[in-house]
Amino acid sequence: MVDVSQHELVPEHILLDDDSEVEQVLEEYNIKRTDLPKIKRNDPALPDEAEPGDVIKIVRDSRTTDTAIIYRLVVR
Amino acid sequence: MLSRAATRRWNPMTEYEYVTNDIEAIVEDADLPRRLKDRVYEVIDERGGVTTEQADEIARAVSSQYNDTRVDALDPVGTVSAQSIGEPGTQMTMNTFHYAGVAEIDVTQGLPRLIELVDARKTPDTPMMTVYLEDEYAIDRERAHEVVWSIESTKILALGDVSTNVADMVVRVDLNEDTLLERWPTVDDADVIASEIAETIEDALGVDTRRSGTAIEFGPSEPSYRELLQLVEQLRDVVFKGIEEVTRVVIRKEQLDDGTEEFVLYTEGSAFGDVLAIEGVDASRTTCNNIHEIHKNLGIEAAREAIINETVNTLEEQGLDDVNVRHMMLVADIMTNRGTIESIGRHGISGSKDSVLARAAFEVTVNHLLSAAIHGKADRLDGVIENVIVGKPVSIGTGDVKLRMGSISTDGGKPADD
Repeated sequence: MVDVSQHELVPEHILLDDDSEVEQVLEEYNIKRTDLPKIKRNDPALPDEAEPGDVIKIVRDSRTTDTAIIYRLVVR
Repeated sequence: MLSRAATRRWNPMTEYEYVTNDIEAIVEDADLPRRLKDRVYEVIDERGGVTTEQADEIARAVSSQYNDTRVDALDPVGTVSAQSIGEPGTQMTMNTFHYAGVAEIDVTQGLPRLIELVDARKTPDTPMMTVYLEDEYAIDRERAHEVVWSIESTKILALGDVSTNVADMVVRVDLNEDTLLERWPTVDDADVIASEIAETIEDALGVDTRRSGTAIEFGPSEPSYRELLQLVEQLRDVVFKGIEEVTRVVIRKEQLDDGTEEFVLYTEGSAFGDVLAIEGVDASRTTCNNIHEIHKNLGIEAAREAIINETVNTLEEQGLDDVNVRHMMLVADIMTNRGTIESIGRHGISGSKDSVLARAAFEVTVNHLLSAAIHGKADRLDGVIENVIVGKPVSIGTGDVKLRMGSISTDGGKPADD
């Protein structure tokens, strides 16, 4: 199968396995976990080991700034 | 645009003659995005260098200007985006067909394309792919053609002549040997290809074939005129090589930024997933104009990028390139927020709002009110439209600022009343 992470449209997806980092993010934006944008579990760009409930850190090559970091919650 | 940003981790010193270490330190220290810092370096360099004091002043001025132009809290960004995309939309042509650069391929442009994108149609009106090739496939025309033949769907009429003999109840296919060898560049025996074709016919139509050289004959099991004609009809639709969805491929030589040339394929019709797996196709750059195919094969983040790219290109094509990209980014963010592509409109974003009144205000008012009444729905009145309807201040801009009155006790300074 094709390695989708190599495609130029696909930004880097990093699984946050450290819960404290997730907490930090949620605190910074003052939101709940479920308020995050979602990503489906069967998304081809998702790291294999990601499970529903995990948070993925996405480092986009931004059009308006250097890099933009966003987070998505893995859902079913 | 994207890849450039990623590779641009250079040292300003080497790029600009007049940018000294001190100036660099000052500018890098400012709270500015990379893009603006680069602009600052460019201007300083053009001016032939500045003193460190001047550099400091410039950095301050730029950051204060930057901070001034940032969006304020409680700004209705969605409404502004809607207006900013909607107004240029009124200037767009109602219907134009043609693709920039490749005149041979027709692609929906202008307003219909923009509507198609925000409606998130399952298949675009004119699906197309831009297929980039890798290594020698991109340089050698022969090799590039190999990829063309494995993408473009090949039907029987492209390979030879079909004739029906009613007296003997047979369909006869006379394959053109040269065409076969051209379209199957990896096989150099026309006989092998012909037997392959005969097999494909047997599988697709469920008949027995007789073959001598490049001539293939077959007929219905029972003599029947109707069935004979039906077989011919079916034969015309059988795909012998390539991808069924792709009806045409145009090959073009294009100049890269670094001056070298490469072959790029443009296709009419798209099957993104299939094409990515074909040997010789550069799976890191190939794209298509169907955002759902991108979503399926590359994921939601790639779909977001594709939506932005497509909307920006559509506007640019119409000479409306002064629409700020942030508006398109906001639209794409909203459309991909739930992990799948949702359309803007009553079947997507607007239709899935929590508030009954907000939905009713948009489209099919009666249906929403009726079903809300039947199910005894409540409305929390925390959106904009709901509050306009009931005549309360809306919770955006100054409308969301609330004053709290209370007395301050003299001893601790803490509010006595909360």
